[in-house]
Amino acid sequence: MEFLAFGTISIVAIISAFMAIFVKSPIHVMVWFLVFILSVASSFFALGADLLAGLQLVIYAVAIVVFYVLVITTIPWEKVKMFEGFYLKELIMALPAFLFTIGSAFYLTFNAKLSNMRVPLPKDNVSALGTVLFTKYIAPFELASFILLIAMIGAIIFGKEKANG
Amino acid sequence: MDKYYMMLGILLVFIGICGIIIRKNLITMLVATEIMLNGANVSLVAVSHFLGKVDSQVMSIIILTVAASEVAIGLGLIVSIFRLRGYEASEEITELRD
Repeated sequence: MEFLAFGTISIVAIISAFMAIFVKSPIHVMVWFLVFILSVASSFFALGADLLAGLQLVIYAVAIVVFYVLVITTIPWEKVKMFEGFYLKELIMALPAFLFTIGSAFYLTFNAKLSNMRVPLPKDNVSALGTVLFTKYIAPFELASFILLIAMIGAIIFGKEKANG
Repeated sequence: MDKYYMMLGILLVFIGICGIIIRKNLITMLVATEIMLNGANVSLVAVSHFLGKVDSQVMSIIILTVAASEVAIGLGLIVSIFRLRGYEASEEITELRD
């Protein structure tokens, strides 16, 4: 059963990631990216990370994809081409290095002796994650909020530049 | 089973790098960056499932916030580039080089 879930999730994720890279129109790219996000969220559910799967759905599948679609609709397409082609020569030159690196990483992961001190995840994922997040990792959490604040200020400054110039 | 999820994460990261290399459109390059971040997330959650601790899920949440801010900044930059100049591909943006 677990293996069936993994097979379905991984096939959908890999196919949709490839299609998101190779499809021509940006809107079709966003649709395949949405399929990819949903498959990643289902993999989080299968791995027992419920809160993270919910956050993935809320942040990625709602906020980020809608933001992308909004930006795609505001771009002046008479100035910018929809599709410019691929860097095929670069892909062919990079392919051996890619295959070697992926193969060696797969070999190392597959033959790794993981420790056998395995304990099951806590049943109540949300409360466990919240406890760890607000006690042990409070400093990275605050740092992430600062990153969001700085990104917001930067986005406002870019928007102002557009309005003036 | 956790090993296979980690391998899926590694493969997704490399698909994202491949997308950044081959695409000329700036928006699609940003989408490929998102694919890379999601691959890292899958690996972290697989490690969390294996170890039985939720610590790496905290790292995943921080990656999520960084991805959100990256999208805001990146799309703002891309829109301002497109509005001001109307570039056709990523190879034409050479102002810092020239």
